[in-house]
Amino acid sequence: MHKSVNKVSERKAAYIFILPAVVLLAAFLIYPSLQTVRYAFTDYNIMRPDRIVFCGFNNFAELFQDEDFWIAVKNTLYFTVLVVPFQTVLALALALLISSRRKGVAIFRAAYFSPQVTSMVVVAILWTVMYNSSPDSGLLNALLVNLGLEPCGFLNDPDTAMNSIIFMSAWQGAGYQMMIFLAGLQGISAEQYEAASIDGAGKIASFFYVTLPGLKNVIQYVVMITVIQAMKLFTQPYVMTKGGPQNSTRTLVYYIYEQGFQKRNFGYACAVAAIFFVIVISLSLGMKKIIKAD
Amino acid sequence: MRKRAVAALLAAVMVSGAFTGCGKTKERVNEEGESVITVWSPSDEPAIEEWWIDKIEEFNQAHEGEIELRREAIVRADSYAYEDKVNAAITSNDLPDILYVDGPNVSIYAANEVTLPLDDFFPEEEWADFFDSSKQQNTYDGNIYAVGATESSVALYYNKDMLDAAGIDVPESKEDAWTWSEYYEAAKKLTKDGVVGTNIIMDKGEGLSYVLEQFWISNGTDFVNEDGSSAEGYLNSAEGVEAAKFLNSLIQDGYANIDPIQKEFHNGKAATMLGGSWEVATLEKDYPDLNWGITYFPVADGDGILTSPTGDWAASVTKNVQDKDAVKEVMQFLFSADNVTTYAQAISKPPTRESSYDVLEEYNEYPRSVFKEQLMETGHPRPRTPSYSVLTAEFAEAMLNIFAGVDPQEALDAAAAAMDKDYNKYYAND
Repeated sequence: MHKSVNKVSERKAAYIFILPAVVLLAAFLIYPSLQTVRYAFTDYNIMRPDRIVFCGFNNFAELFQDEDFWIAVKNTLYFTVLVVPFQTVLALALALLISSRRKGVAIFRAAYFSPQVTSMVVVAILWTVMYNSSPDSGLLNALLVNLGLEPCGFLNDPDTAMNSIIFMSAWQGAGYQMMIFLAGLQGISAEQYEAASIDGAGKIASFFYVTLPGLKNVIQYVVMITVIQAMKLFTQPYVMTKGGPQNSTRTLVYYIYEQGFQKRNFGYACAVAAIFFVIVISLSLGMKKIIKAD
Repeated sequence: MRKRAVAALLAAVMVSGAFTGCGKTKERVNEEGESVITVWSPSDEPAIEEWWIDKIEEFNQAHEGEIELRREAIVRADSYAYEDKVNAAITSNDLPDILYVDGPNVSIYAANEVTLPLDDFFPEEEWADFFDSSKQQNTYDGNIYAVGATESSVALYYNKDMLDAAGIDVPESKEDAWTWSEYYEAAKKLTKDGVVGTNIIMDKGEGLSYVLEQFWISNGTDFVNEDGSSAEGYLNSAEGVEAAKFLNSLIQDGYANIDPIQKEFHNGKAATMLGGSWEVATLEKDYPDLNWGITYFPVADGDGILTSPTGDWAASVTKNVQDKDAVKEVMQFLFSADNVTTYAQAISKPPTRESSYDVLEEYNEYPRSVFKEQLMETGHPRPRTPSYSVLTAEFAEAMLNIFAGVDPQEALDAAAAAMDKDYNKYYAND
């Protein structure tokens, strides 16, 4: 008897403890999300909050015929599909490089991680300057010309703009994943490597048969968060290209911002946001399923 | 038990803490019973911030017991940070009494009934003292919705040493302003040794519409029709496409950079530039060794129309105002002949009131006289249309696409269609 009373009050206390978190989540995440869905069915113009008219599935119907929207979907997926493997492999390579206990490794660890602690806006501005299409003012083009190559348009050429963003994004982001890989590498016990070398495995073989399997969970985690992060690409196109040239860097989140805040089509932007939400959720669930089945 | 009470209390404090700061509405009457008038304007250079402090003190002393003037300086960062804050205030019906808005946005706020007409704020003879260019920018649908103290203009800055070396003379009266072909030839001659002939990109956002619209106007068309309801047949007209092709030729032939470095002209990396009136102060102060001059904005070949950009921030009165008489009193004070003069002086921009030029004599002398002359005689504000935000974003995108190789007609058709779609969706049936 005494015990169950205690249990009930314990439960009460538990509710009280989670209350602040629940209230904050409800106020700043759940409520706005529901509002987004509601506005997606209206013609809300941000200047006219007193004249919101319900318009059914109009926004969605328009969306599916909106060429710019599909380009944004394509660009976002292109970015994700390229940046995730590139950044993950880069991060793993960096982690392997500095995982040894040699002297002076801490300096490299700090150096590789430093882009991560710099604001993306700052990094994006710096890379915009480096990518400048004129060899007189752009560092990379100056290098190309000095090597006797043709200067490249980088951000001004629709064929290279997104790839330029992918490269700098991986450079900026890899430091973080590198740290996670480092932690993962430390979790693999030295005995396994010892056993492998006794069995006659070289460096390459022990990487494939010891390191990689040992990092399986870490790799899954890293890929998952990188995919979700990559889907949200916004700052780089906002700062570096404004979605251009010729739509080549317009991503879904940038499109939401552009429609909602620049062009004030808030209802339409909410519809894009709702679709974006569905895409990201199904991607994460899909990946989880694949990982589980593994 | 006590522990639990503490936990509950803690939770309550945290939750309520999350909400304080929300829902605080603007105070309209203070403890002394004075009517409170709040102004929002972008935070600015120290000289302007001081101007505000002085003027607010002066006003509040003169109106003790009746009105209290307050100002909130809002960080602009880029123009959208300011607009985001205004948008939020529109949604929560919590706008200040007086709101400073950028020139081309006057029509957007007016068309959405966010701001009120101000025609009766000044008597006829006072209005007559304001520049037409400024009044034109601030008029929507026949009414004045904003008052500005300062103006801006754009002229062709040139590097005297480089032009002398190339043996190029510049026009000395606006009737002789360079035609596009003369401008092109000069840029061609001046491009050498890592220096480009000219700079036509002020920035890759609003600067494109602000400066480049003049090429449309000079060629006998514009971005939109008279009442601002359509861009079709204007922005993408044959004359418009011709203007875009001309600008693109400067870029494609290498006489102007698509990615100019910061202060390209100031640093001697461009021989000429289409630069704003505010650059005069910068060049005088920070680049004393540069030997520069200015001449008139180029005109289209043939019967090109003389034109130049104008426009600046202006103050409007919002729909959330309560004490309209007090607001009128404040506006008459802020835009009195004296205060327009001192404000323009503090911010180093040309004033909007003709009488201010009796005091600010530097505008009667070269180089500033060129801007004054352009403002009074050839100035054209940006298009007045409630769909301006869409128009300017689409135009910037179209130009950057053209510079990257897209067919000008195709790019401008798309921009015109996007602007018309926005107008028809929200404003055609108002």
